[in-house]
Amino acid sequence: MQEFLQQVVSGIASGGIFASLALALVLIYNAMGLVNFAQGEMAMFATFVAYALIENGMSYWIALPLALVLAFAGGVLIQRVVIRPVERAPVLTLVIVTLGLATLINGLAGFVFGYIPRSFPSPFSVQTVSVLGALISFRDLGVIAVSALVLVLIYLLLQRTTLGLAMRAAAHNPDASRLLGVRVSWMLALGWGLASAVGALSGIMVAPILLLEPNMMQTIIIYAFAAAVLGGIESPLGAVVGGLIVGITVNLAGAYLVGGDLQLAVAFLIIVAVLVIKPNGLFGRPSVRRV
Amino acid sequence: MELLELEEVHAGYGPTQVLHGVSMKMAEGEIISLLGANGAGKTTTLRAICGGVRWDGAIKLSGRSLHRMSTEDIVRSGLAHVPEGRGILTDLTVEENLRLGEHLRRDRDQVRKDYVRVFEYFPVLRERRRLSASTLSGGEQQMLALARALLMRPRLMLLDEPSLGLAPLVVRAIFEIIRDINRADGVGVLLVEQNARLALELSTHSYVLEVGRVAVAGLSSELKGNDSVRRSYLGY
Repeated sequence: MQEFLQQVVSGIASGGIFASLALALVLIYNAMGLVNFAQGEMAMFATFVAYALIENGMSYWIALPLALVLAFAGGVLIQRVVIRPVERAPVLTLVIVTLGLATLINGLAGFVFGYIPRSFPSPFSVQTVSVLGALISFRDLGVIAVSALVLVLIYLLLQRTTLGLAMRAAAHNPDASRLLGVRVSWMLALGWGLASAVGALSGIMVAPILLLEPNMMQTIIIYAFAAAVLGGIESPLGAVVGGLIVGITVNLAGAYLVGGDLQLAVAFLIIVAVLVIKPNGLFGRPSVRRV
Repeated sequence: MELLELEEVHAGYGPTQVLHGVSMKMAEGEIISLLGANGAGKTTTLRAICGGVRWDGAIKLSGRSLHRMSTEDIVRSGLAHVPEGRGILTDLTVEENLRLGEHLRRDRDQVRKDYVRVFEYFPVLRERRRLSASTLSGGEQQMLALARALLMRPRLMLLDEPSLGLAPLVVRAIFEIIRDINRADGVGVLLVEQNARLALELSTHSYVLEVGRVAVAGLSSELKGNDSVRRSYLGY
C-alpha cells in the first residue's frame, strides 16, 4: 500500500510535467488547429538556456523565471518569423513546417551545447518525507507545486483577464474577433509565447530526472501527446487532467505491469484507445463540420 | 463633414468583380438603408468598408481614408459591424461576448451605464449571461450582436440583415431598438436589408444597388412612394 502511494505521488509529479507540455500543445492547437511538433524541442532548448544561466552563476530561482520569459519571447519570435508567413497555408504545410522547426532546433541545440548528457540541477533535495507511511521525495513535491502554480496562473490569465479573453476569442473565431477590434495576429503570437513558456517549464522540471541533452524531450512529447489527446485536444483543463492520468497510469504500469522499458508503449496504448473509443477525449466537444 | 463617404468603390473576390463603382454618402447620426436583390453587392459594400475585402476607389470614415487599413484598426477608429451570421463567438459565454464589445474602452463609468441600458433593451441577455452564446436562439443571438455593437460605442454601425430568420414580432422590437440607439447615442447606422418596407420606414436616405452599382438613391420617404422604383427594385 505504501509503495502504491509512493508510485501514485511520483506519477502525479510526472503528470505535472506531461500536463505542462500537453497544455502547450493545446494552446497552439486552439490557436491554429494543428499540433506543434516542435513543442518538445522548443522546451529542450529553453532548458539548455536555463542550464547556461545557472552554469554562469545565476541562482536557480532567478534562472527559472528568466528562462521562461526568454522562452516566451522565443515563442513569439518563432510565430512572427516562421509561422506567420505560412499562416494561411494548408494544414499539411504547417505540419511540415513544425517538423522542420523541430529538426532545426534539435540540431541547433546539438551544435551550440553538444550531445554529451549533462546533469541539470534541481533546487529540491532527493530526500524523502514520510506521508501516511509512504516515502515521498521533496523533488516530486517541488515539481508538483511548481507545475500547479504555473497551471493556475495560466488558468487565471486565460479565464480572468481581458487579455486572456481576447486570446481565446482570437483562437476560436479570428474573423469575428477582428470585427471587435482584437489584434488577432498578435494574440496568436502571444499564444505561441505562452505555449513556449509552459513547455519550457516541463523541460526544466524533467531535466533533473532525465539528463539534459538535445533528444531529452522526445519521449516526454509522446506522453504529452497522449495527455492532450486523452483530455480532448482543444481543452486546457483536459490537458492537465489528461497529464495527471497519463502520469499516474504510466508510473503504475511501469511498477506493477510492464516494467520501465514498456512505459512508452502504455502512452501509445492510451492514444490509440482514446482515438478508437472516445475520439473527442474526456473534455473535448464533438466536432461538427459542414461539408 | 460626412461620417462615411464612398467614391467609385470597386471590389470583388479574386477574378469576380462584385462592386463596379459604388458611391454613397452618409451624414453623422443618420440611418441609411442599402437595398437590392441578392448578389447586388450589399454585403460586399459593408465588407469593403470594414476592410474585409480588397477594394479600389475611396472610402472615408469621418474624413479619414480607410485605404489599406486592417479590420482591427478600422474597428478601433469607431466602426461596429454586425456581419451576416451575426459574428457571435459561440465558444464564449454571453457575458464574454459583451465584454469583448467594450474591452477597448477606457471610460469604465460610462461602460457600466451602457450595460444597464443593454440589459434594459434585452433582459434575456442578463438572464443568460453565464450561458454559452451557442445556446441562444437566432433572435437572441441577434440581440447579443446588437448589444455588443452598442457597447462598442461606435460612430458608425454596419448592420447586415438584422431581420434575417427572425419572427416578425422580434424584428419589430429589434428595429425599434436600432432607432433608439441611433437617437440616444447619435450613432450612424448603415443598414442592409432584404425587408425593404421596414428598412425604408427606419431610414432617412436609401440606396438601391443593382449588380454592383447604385441604381437609385434618395429620400426613403420618396422611394417608398415611388411605385415604379418599388416594383422594379424592391419587390413588393
